[in-house]
Amino acid sequence: MMNSDDWLLRVEDLSVHFRTPRGVVQAVDHVSFEVKPKETLALVGETGCGKSVTARSIMKLVPEPPGEYASGAVLLRNLKTGAVTDMLSAPMDQVRATRGDRIAMIFQDPGKALNPSLTIGRQLAEVFGEHRAAMLLTQAGIDPEKGPIGSGSIASQRAGVLRRNFFHLTRRGHSRAIRAAVDDAVMSALSDTGIPNPRKVMSSYPHELSGGMKQRVMIAQALACDPDLLIADEPTTALDVTIQARILDLINDMQQRRGTAILYITHDLSLVRQFADRLAVMYAGRIVESGPALEVLKSPQHPYTQGLLAAIPRAGTPRGKLAAIAGSVPQLIDPPAQCHFSSRCTWCAEACTSHIPKLIHMPGDRDVACLRFEQADSIGVDPSDMPSHVASAEVVS
Amino acid sequence: MTMTSIPQSAASNEPRKDRLRTRASSVRWARRREVLREVMRNPLTVVGVVIITLFLLMAITAPLLTEANQPDPYQSPRDWANIDVGPGVEGHVLGTDSTGGDVLYGIIWGSRLSLQLSLTVVISTLIIGTIVGSVAAMRGGRLDNFLMRIVDVFLAIPELIFALAIAAVLGPSFRNIILALAVVFWVKYARIIRGEIIRVKQTDYVAAARVVGDSTWNIYRKDVLPNAVTPLVVQATLDMGNVVLIGAALSYIGLAQAGLTEWGAMVSAGQSGILAGQWWVSTFAGVAILLWALAFNLVGDGLRDALDPKTEGR
Repeated sequence: MMNSDDWLLRVEDLSVHFRTPRGVVQAVDHVSFEVKPKETLALVGETGCGKSVTARSIMKLVPEPPGEYASGAVLLRNLKTGAVTDMLSAPMDQVRATRGDRIAMIFQDPGKALNPSLTIGRQLAEVFGEHRAAMLLTQAGIDPEKGPIGSGSIASQRAGVLRRNFFHLTRRGHSRAIRAAVDDAVMSALSDTGIPNPRKVMSSYPHELSGGMKQRVMIAQALACDPDLLIADEPTTALDVTIQARILDLINDMQQRRGTAILYITHDLSLVRQFADRLAVMYAGRIVESGPALEVLKSPQHPYTQGLLAAIPRAGTPRGKLAAIAGSVPQLIDPPAQCHFSSRCTWCAEACTSHIPKLIHMPGDRDVACLRFEQADSIGVDPSDMPSHVASAEVVS
Repeated sequence: MTMTSIPQSAASNEPRKDRLRTRASSVRWARRREVLREVMRNPLTVVGVVIITLFLLMAITAPLLTEANQPDPYQSPRDWANIDVGPGVEGHVLGTDSTGGDVLYGIIWGSRLSLQLSLTVVISTLIIGTIVGSVAAMRGGRLDNFLMRIVDVFLAIPELIFALAIAAVLGPSFRNIILALAVVFWVKYARIIRGEIIRVKQTDYVAAARVVGDSTWNIYRKDVLPNAVTPLVVQATLDMGNVVLIGAALSYIGLAQAGLTEWGAMVSAGQSGILAGQWWVSTFAGVAILLWALAFNLVGDGLRDALDPKTEGR
């Protein structure tokens, strides 16, 4: 799994803990995965399984305290230079320069992710000011090396200095050219996402737009600087069903055109089926199964994935009781060292309550974390305590 | 009310047409107009605005309305020939006090003192409170705890008594009253803005701003503060009235200079004459205090209703 050099993002052994008065919550527990360039990975799991915390950790957005990166690294590779940055240990200004420029994110509820007191145009302009100031200055016919930019030198390339000078100019109206360049950049970003009449949208406040329109604005903002990776945290859950498909098509379309890799955080398995290349299933802070999306959906190996797929209500099935996974998600405050799914699992055996299953690599680029795929002697327990074994040859059916 | 509603309705048809082609700045103005219209829909708020406007005009044009007393215009000119005369006497529309000081003159020049008092106290405490509250909320942790415990200590003592104690220690003068009130009033703002900032900090749009790589200061300036100030604006408006009320109480008990044209001091000066039937000094000065406090309370309430979408009656 970790052999090729063809990767964009590599999360290695990531653990995120939250200190609460009742104990330490292990929200993300030794999670590893990677995203290849231009690939779509879907991170699936139910509410509270740690998928959103994982996504936010990639951006180093988990509030500290109470959050804490207990272990691991989030490595981001620069596709042009090959340089690797660890988001968790990099200095803050480097993290900020990466956010929005090379990794972008769209949020679940676009209505809450836009500042209600700024116009759309202004909010998008901030992104360009943060990451593309020099380019816009050039476009405006001002030499970014010199320019009428006041005291600070643009050549310093410090984003903060750039932006302050930049907006000082636009606000005072000293330079129509800069304003025009910013407006043009914002307009083309908006019209790229299929927003009709972008000039009108630019001067609107978020509350004046519909939910679908706001999500388009969020996508425009996220893709403004052509990031290598887009994290979409349940991008359609807050939208009407009719608009969901259009937004997903839009994201897919943008990916095709720009070659952005996408990390979907979702619990919508039909989305996975349609758009994801690979799938990772999370349960109680751990990845329990991963592999090519269609393969995993066709023949799920982990009992939790099987239960999850069986629980999807389908149109056309006879009326009656819907399948559900018995029991509920375990508490993650100081959890015991065992398979977290053991309390809900039909195959549960003695060993499951005393061992944490490792991710076992299987043919077809798949991984499963379940003791049914492990050998009794490799973890040192009596074979009679193990759940019924599945030979890895049986997996690819 | 009808006077104000006519231009309002004319304005409401207009924006729709030009909104299509205007830039962001004029949209911002259109929104401000909307808030203004919302505020003005409440007749009581309009009453408050009218009273405040009249007081402002009075304070600004004081030297034109009455000839300023020399050397100190904030001492009523003494007309020793007309002591304790009632309202309506030639040259003294609202009467005079026991030292021949003109009551109308006192009220007019007193409005300047009230304005000076409330503006100085509210603006300075607003700045101090915002800085302290913002630092506490943005930094969090121990510093937050430390600052908020200081705020708690201040809040534990009733405003009037605390201000009284400080002013008494500093000695009787109008400037010390301002100082005392400033020391007392900033804590409320610090507490309010801290709570609001913590609320705003948890919103997705702050996370979204961090996601695009904004710096903490830029996020504070552009996302956090503008969305957190609303309750502060309302509180500041209400305090424009409260400050004068407490300031009047302090000068009433003699913490301002003797003979100052401060309304509270005038109530105090006229008090001894009330039993002798000389009601006018205390009454007119008291009415001035009442109207001032009432007007700012009406406007403050109106602002709260207009700015808070959750309030009933919209």
